[in-house]
Amino acid sequence: MMGHHFGVPRHKELQRRIILEMLDFLTTATRSGEVKMLPLKWANARQEGKEIERRLELKEV
Amino acid sequence: MENFKETDLKQLRPGLWATVNERYPGSMITKTDFVPLARLKKPLPESRIAFISTAGVQPKNSLPFDTVHPVGDYTFRRVPSRSKPEDLEIHQLKYPTVGAKRDLNVIFPIERLQELTEEKIIGELAPNFFSFIGYNMDALKLEQTLAEDLADAVEAEKPDGALLAPA
Repeated sequence: MMGHHFGVPRHKELQRRIILEMLDFLTTATRSGEVKMLPLKWANARQEGKEIERRLELKEV
Repeated sequence: MENFKETDLKQLRPGLWATVNERYPGSMITKTDFVPLARLKKPLPESRIAFISTAGVQPKNSLPFDTVHPVGDYTFRRVPSRSKPEDLEIHQLKYPTVGAKRDLNVIFPIERLQELTEEKIIGELAPNFFSFIGYNMDALKLEQTLAEDLADAVEAEKPDGALLAPA
């Protein structure tokens, strides 16, 4: 999603996973220009992010 | 070029590109002269990694990108890789920054990269990351000025690999 290429706010696990996929591709890409599509859905990421933020806000109260 | 055929090119959003090119002729280009694939020469835990982004992220108090120039800003900023998100700000109008303003890592994952280095998954980070704004309407100028200048600056950091991220 534009402006959110590494996931959603405060979703560290997802942000980390996307970077690890990038790093893995440094060694597994077979040719220049190759594109790897990740099995991630924006709607799911957004929902997970909202849940994480809700929990964090509860924790801060 | 390694095993690459022009027929392999797949434009992921061809309709969008056609629309943008209709409005800003020549701004969205398709390149077929890809550089050969460059592989890491050493394992990732021994490698120095650079990060380059079009997110328009820059240290606070550095010269802001010109986000309203009609043909764009062809400069880049160095972002110390040890920076904290609160040391940085975004000057870019061409993508939604609502998420990045709550957590910069969604577009410029500096904290995640720092953590991966602390965990020794990455050997080390280049002293500086780099950022520029993606709104540059003269593709040839972009290639001949910004891209060349940026490549020299990145090379000077002596990275073993670089992650490039659009915004």
